[in-house]
Amino acid sequence: MDNNIKILEDYQIEYLRDESRRVGSANTISFPKTQSEVVNIVLSLVECQSLITIQGARTGITAGAVPEGGHIMNLIKMNKITGLRYDEVKNDFYMMLQPGVLLTDVKKILESKNFDTKNWSQSSIEALEVLKNSGKYFFSPDPTETTASIGGMVACNASGACSFKYGATRKYIEALKVVLVDGNILELKRGKTKANGRNFSVKLNFGKILNGNIPSYNMPNVKNASGYYAKEDMEIIDLFIGSEGTLGIITEIEIKLLSKPAFIYGMTSFFRSEEAALNFVRAVRGDSGEEITKPAALEYFNHNALKLLKSQKLTNPSFNKLPDIHSHYHTAIYTEYHGESKDSTMQMLMDATVFMTSFGGDEGDTWVATNDRDMERLHFFRHATPEAVNLIIDGRRVANPSITKLGTDMAVPDEYLENVINLYNSSVSEEKLESVMFGHIGNNHIHVNIIPKNIEEYHKGKELYNSLAKEVIAMGGTVSAEHGIGKMKTVLLKEMFGDAGIMEMIGLKKLFDPELRLGKGNIFNYS
Amino acid sequence: MANIDILIHKCIGCKQCLKACPFGAIKMEKKKAVILDNCTLCGSCVSACRFQAINFVKDEVIAKDLSAFKGIWIFAQQKNGKVSEVVFELLGEAIKLAEKLKTDVSAVILGESLKDATKKLIAYGADKVYKIENKELKDFNDEIYADILRQLINEYKPEIVLFGATTFGRSLAPRIASKLNTGLTADCTILEIDEEKKLLLQTRPAFGGNLMATIICPNHRPQMATVRPKVMKAIEPNFNRTGHIISPKVNLRTALKVKVLDIVDIMKSEIAIEEADIIVAAGRGIGNIKNIRLIEEFAREIGGAVAASRAVIDAGWLEYPHQVGQTGKTVAPKIYFALGISGAIQHLAGMSSSDVIVAVNNDPEAPIFKIARYGIVGDLTEVLPELIRTFREKMKKTVV
Amino acid sequence: MNIIVCVKQVPGSNDVKMDKVTNTIIREGIEAIINPFDVYAVEEALKIKDNFGGKITAISMGIPKVVDTLKEVLDLGVNSGVLLSDRAFAGADSLATAYTLSKGINKIGKYDLIICGKQATDGDTAQVGPSLAEKLGIPHTTNVSNIEEVGADFIICNRSTDEGYEVIKIFLPAVITVVKDINVPRLPSIRTLKSAKNAEIFIWNLRDINADKNYTGLKGSPTQVVKTFIPQYDTGTEIFEGTNEEKCNKLALRLLDMKTLFSI
Repeated sequence: MDNNIKILEDYQIEYLRDESRRVGSANTISFPKTQSEVVNIVLSLVECQSLITIQGARTGITAGAVPEGGHIMNLIKMNKITGLRYDEVKNDFYMMLQPGVLLTDVKKILESKNFDTKNWSQSSIEALEVLKNSGKYFFSPDPTETTASIGGMVACNASGACSFKYGATRKYIEALKVVLVDGNILELKRGKTKANGRNFSVKLNFGKILNGNIPSYNMPNVKNASGYYAKEDMEIIDLFIGSEGTLGIITEIEIKLLSKPAFIYGMTSFFRSEEAALNFVRAVRGDSGEEITKPAALEYFNHNALKLLKSQKLTNPSFNKLPDIHSHYHTAIYTEYHGESKDSTMQMLMDATVFMTSFGGDEGDTWVATNDRDMERLHFFRHATPEAVNLIIDGRRVANPSITKLGTDMAVPDEYLENVINLYNSSVSEEKLESVMFGHIGNNHIHVNIIPKNIEEYHKGKELYNSLAKEVIAMGGTVSAEHGIGKMKTVLLKEMFGDAGIMEMIGLKKLFDPELRLGKGNIFNYS
Repeated sequence: MANIDILIHKCIGCKQCLKACPFGAIKMEKKKAVILDNCTLCGSCVSACRFQAINFVKDEVIAKDLSAFKGIWIFAQQKNGKVSEVVFELLGEAIKLAEKLKTDVSAVILGESLKDATKKLIAYGADKVYKIENKELKDFNDEIYADILRQLINEYKPEIVLFGATTFGRSLAPRIASKLNTGLTADCTILEIDEEKKLLLQTRPAFGGNLMATIICPNHRPQMATVRPKVMKAIEPNFNRTGHIISPKVNLRTALKVKVLDIVDIMKSEIAIEEADIIVAAGRGIGNIKNIRLIEEFAREIGGAVAASRAVIDAGWLEYPHQVGQTGKTVAPKIYFALGISGAIQHLAGMSSSDVIVAVNNDPEAPIFKIARYGIVGDLTEVLPELIRTFREKMKKTVV
Repeated sequence: MNIIVCVKQVPGSNDVKMDKVTNTIIREGIEAIINPFDVYAVEEALKIKDNFGGKITAISMGIPKVVDTLKEVLDLGVNSGVLLSDRAFAGADSLATAYTLSKGINKIGKYDLIICGKQATDGDTAQVGPSLAEKLGIPHTTNVSNIEEVGADFIICNRSTDEGYEVIKIFLPAVITVVKDINVPRLPSIRTLKSAKNAEIFIWNLRDINADKNYTGLKGSPTQVVKTFIPQYDTGTEIFEGTNEEKCNKLALRLLDMKTLFSI
């Protein structure tokens, strides 16, 4: 056995969990620091055919990192930024890093530009000099949980509020190195390896060639993190992004950086009815085809979410700094604009204001942020809703330990915005379940959080969730827009792509992992 | 007007001045240093430059004859006849300073019934006590107190006046200093004497404690300073000591513009962290509000008081009276458990005088380990239950 | 009510790091921000204006860039701003600052209440409020955590003390310094942003405010810095190894040796 493989100790119990609250089991664990350590561990496990679950920072909420026996390979110690690349032609910067680097570290290092360049190549060091003289750059995917690892973000194709403008993690992955379960290494660069129709061929490091088929299903035309990416003539690198630890172990990532917008302004507007709020959303989103600058983020807080925040503010000291919400308002929408000048960004806010007042909003009742301090407050408000739900659930779990939050992560195409909101509203009210709704309305991606009071409601909620999924799929939507399938939504994925689609995914997986040992339980179940 | 500039011909572009500037007021242009307009004339760059390339011209000040000012005074804040602990600490320090200056130490106390207080002040080192007893002075009042002290200082001319940096001290001292047009340095952590110039050297943290500055007040008297509780040490009291008690006549101001309508004391039996010998402090590393109960459990096991870093208070996981640090309380217990506290200097400013610091943090590079006597690197959510278990067991064994 | 709020621009970061090798301060792109306590002072002034009407003027002493901070508070609904800016003001300690502010305030004219934040996060001295009140010859109180009542010529407020709080009646005009408990600061709205476009910021120099240069800036500062240095914390640290159980055991043994922990 490789030295790095250790028996899992009692005090390492945290490694059987992620943020999904599910607890798993495992026999051994390793914390490799380099790609060659990963290869050696993997080779060591070939003989006993051990299952392997890959972990990053374990901030996922669908149990993707929760092991179902076997070996845990935790990549958190692969946390070096290994280089920078500057493409003179495209005038773009790229950062090379190991999967265990956290998002918050990437944010900090791009602010300070204070890189540790030990062991960097000469060209990386030169690229750093160019970066230092080049204004501010940032990595645009912005999930709320900044302690997530970049490897984890790649594995589940993470998104954040500003993915409305910039897109999900997928768009910013330029290259990957993947160690397969047999110890071979696959290097993929965007633009270099594409499928031919739905067939593809890749060459591994020692020359072995793998030929495979892209699943034949069509992905819904929405923000999506469900199952394997599959498209005609697709880039093969996209197979691995969002593959949730089922195809290989990502050991090196090259991410694309964007020039940081000089001005970031935000505004929370309040509306007297949900209808008015949705009209506002369509207007600022430019659904009518009007030429307008779209917001970078477009977020929604339904009436129950506002009510919850108001009551939390009264009872909970950590919510003290929430601004007061006027009671005559029903629904709130947050818009964020990114611009290159104060004037142009302010103009974007003012243009949105015109729409807002046309739908009954009041200029005096808006919350506007034009500096970091105020922006932090608006972001706090955004995160306060799921936080508040968690606190209530935690309180209810004392009496009923098996209750958990039930949160949906579904998205539909633009034309179904009102339909899906009506569907959600009528469903929860019919079942008389307590709920809040909030989320990335720009992508018609609303999180419905059902807050069960007891175990009966919990089961009712789960059933409701499944029936909602069927309807969303019928609208051409997806069952998971950003959290991934993990182990918790495998049934829903089956609804989406059918048994045939699942079988195709398994077939694809077998190409890279013939004994089905990696990430067991993720994306699909199989015996 | 004071002026500072770079002597270009001497500047070699080594950037030491740039690095030393706490205000970011120096930048390099064409490999030479340039001082920007946000320079506050603090002089840090001059100290850092090894090439005498910075010309700092201060104004000529006409040296005044300050020899008439003698003696060190301590303002003895009291409540209901009981003197605040910080006063005794200041007396302890003043004795050392007085020795160097070859002068004496006096306490100034205003209040209603001050006999016991006066005795105690002498026992703790006051050679003289200026006592103003009047029922109008029973409760602290900025207006009356500031005015009386002005009269006393003008009359008796002390060279140094020290105040505890309590809420009242921090309000009273600047009012008096402003009345007298003299200098005041807040929150000093070190007081020394420049024996040559016979000046008080007042050292205090600046920039949240990242920088220490030593300040003097060369041309104005008295030199005034405030000192936080628990920073200096009182001497063992000697109730056989004798001292002079002086009851000067002062004019009491009437027609006051500030009236105290009510005084409300909040019972802080569980929050008296300043008095505790053992403190268990939680930092951001505890993760969430739920883990506070583990902190409380541990504190209960070992008989300690619960405290927290600013991050925990800001997050609303504990109330402000628990806060230790630059903008919270300063504590100096025998044992300080820093649990999940990284050791930001703002926090250290509030607890670095603790006798023994025990740190638990999952980051081996956390600054707290530099000042900790004992450290455990690990995840607090796992270590803490283990700590509770271990100490519970050990405590059982030692109980008689 | 005519209210004046004193605001200060301070360095943004609390995370000033030390370069361990050169023992110097690394100031990594620290943006300047409004002193956090002053935001609460501004909010309190706005609350009083909301309830009783009147005008709010924000005043600051600083370099020209401080206009940005004044603009920020205008965006919240403050009516106008005054910046006292002159080379002669540089290097001021709290006394010189209070003097300079008092001259600026005298030029502003009539006022009922002056509100300051408790202290500034760069100096943390909390001295300017009381010192300013003295220069203006008006009463002051500090650490105000709540304003209970606003009368025609007085206010009743709660003052936080080390033991609890006091209820204070203070006659106007007066200076109060406020603590963070006092309110929850608002965010700007589109309406206040639009109004702010018409709000004026006046920039006054030494002559404009009729100040004596012997009392401003470094010259007017009785206190001077003679030395700055980086504090060293010297200690040998014992880090325990092993499992969590082993580590805790070793720690307990060490502390057991210290009788204090287990004094019965």
